[in-house]
Amino acid sequence: MSIPLDQILIQTVNGLVNGMILALVASGLTLIFGIMDVVNFAHGDLVMLGGFTGAVTIAATGNFWLALLVAVLVIAVFGAALQATTLRPLLGRDPLTTILATFGISLVLQKYALWQWGPSARRIQEPLTGQFQLFYLQYPWYRVLTAVLSAAIIGGFWLFLRHGKYGIWIRATMQDRIMASAMGIPVPWVHTGVFAIGAGMAAASGVLFGPLGGVTQNMGLDFTLRAFIVVVVGGMGNLGGSIFAAILISLLEAYASLVVSPAQAVIVSFVVLILTLLFRPTGLFVPTPK
Amino acid sequence: MLTLTEVHTYYGKSHILLGVSLEVQPGEVVGLLGRNGVGKSTTLKTIMGLVRPSGGHVRFEGREIAGTAPHRLAHAGLAWVPEDRRIFRLLTVMENLRTGLDRPGMTEARRRELLDKVYAHFPVLAERRSQAGGTLSGGEQQMLAIARAMMLEPKIILLDEPTEGLMPRMVGQIREIITLLHQDRVAILLVEQNVPLTLDVSDRVYIMEKGLVRHHATAAELRADHAVIHQYLGV
Ligand SMILES: Nc1ncnc2c1ncn2[C@@H]1O[C@H](COP(=O)(O)OP(=O)(O)OP(=O)(O)O)[C@@H](O)[C@H]1O
Ligand SMILES: [Mg+2]
Repeated sequence: MSIPLDQILIQTVNGLVNGMILALVASGLTLIFGIMDVVNFAHGDLVMLGGFTGAVTIAATGNFWLALLVAVLVIAVFGAALQATTLRPLLGRDPLTTILATFGISLVLQKYALWQWGPSARRIQEPLTGQFQLFYLQYPWYRVLTAVLSAAIIGGFWLFLRHGKYGIWIRATMQDRIMASAMGIPVPWVHTGVFAIGAGMAAASGVLFGPLGGVTQNMGLDFTLRAFIVVVVGGMGNLGGSIFAAILISLLEAYASLVVSPAQAVIVSFVVLILTLLFRPTGLFVPTPK
Repeated sequence: MLTLTEVHTYYGKSHILLGVSLEVQPGEVVGLLGRNGVGKSTTLKTIMGLVRPSGGHVRFEGREIAGTAPHRLAHAGLAWVPEDRRIFRLLTVMENLRTGLDRPGMTEARRRELLDKVYAHFPVLAERRSQAGGTLSGGEQQMLAIARAMMLEPKIILLDEPTEGLMPRMVGQIREIITLLHQDRVAILLVEQNVPLTLDVSDRVYIMEKGLVRHHATAAELRADHAVIHQYLGV
């Protein structure tokens, strides 16, 4: 069996584009885990809420960029409130407690979306409708744009982490929460802030994804699951690892869809997950502790 | 300035502090001695708000501080140098120091001053300012841990076994730093295994046994009375 080179290249572009949106979702998830040891099972539902907030804003204003901004800000504030009211009191408890709490939040958010916006999908109008020739395909510029924007958001956040007072607060809290608080860093607020940033990143993914796959009230679980796999493969709490794993898994899925149906290609991510758990349980990019 | 009265602390179900009472006056160096596992570190953690006492009072400058968040205590003038140093390993030396500098009421000029001061006292930290904290040697990490606490301009430093595992030359440096802080009128509550050093630098000394303060004397008295030291510490 031989696969033409142009198809492989097309799937490479597809894999990179899908990988960058996934990386944006997974970054928030891994960040939240890294700093407060909470696996946020409602993360995909923040993607969904971001998507709906964007869709509603576009319906009212017709402006995609404004919708992206509004969704990010609204969901970041919502995320901060959610963290301060439901997760902060559970800090340091058994992981099962926070898993149950975030799972509960996930259910509530889904039912709210169903009640508020109904069961049918909403499509967001892309801000850019042009296409370019990619071998035998007309490839939409918008898909490329989503990858570039996702990369820009992640890159911007990375710069924020590297430079300045808040970046130091976040990194210090990630490394040693207790020592950070003893040095005068307001750790409870750092947690809230990081959750807000993660929620904002999730909302951005929701809006960016809207024109590609539509927004539905039950889209969250799929995002949570895929991002969770990426975070485990990349090493829980490892930002760079998650980004790399998101791209790796998306590329493998894209290539797999050359030989099997796209629905079957999804299995690839589970295979990668299982192999990682078997051979490098702390993730591909964290040295296995001896 | 710092007063503990009948402080009780638990870890889960184990009762660790069984009613600890002690006090530290402004600018005073107070030693806290005791065998392994008697609760010295737990006493410091309780003061710093890292574990919550189940009973008794912890007062700082007349105010009850039991249950206050550690970051507020850090702003109020308490600093903690833990026994395992707890350097932020992935932060640079400079960033480690900055964790204590970005607090309310700080000006750029004051930040500069504080940094210049520790770099003058610890030239090795200035040399390594852009290096990750985790790459420093044990002695350098201890310097950094103390320097980092000094960034808070504390009124009292809770210093937990600063000479543990250090070479004699480094121990000498720690002794100098303690003397220096003493001259700056910073109070120190010093937990140590090194008895001669403690008797040397302290004004007063408390001796703990199984979660309680069992003996209290001036350092001068203890220097003259080795029987007490032998009785409680076996040295
Ligand atoms: N996090 C914890 N959970 C449960 N027990 C603890 C914890 N930390 C300390 N302990 C126990 O509390 C007791 C007192 O510990 P602490 O660290 O205060 O002793 P210490 O006097 O500082 O001893 P050392 O000289 O060895 O440092 C010990 O028996 C220890 O095993
Ligand atoms: Mg100790």
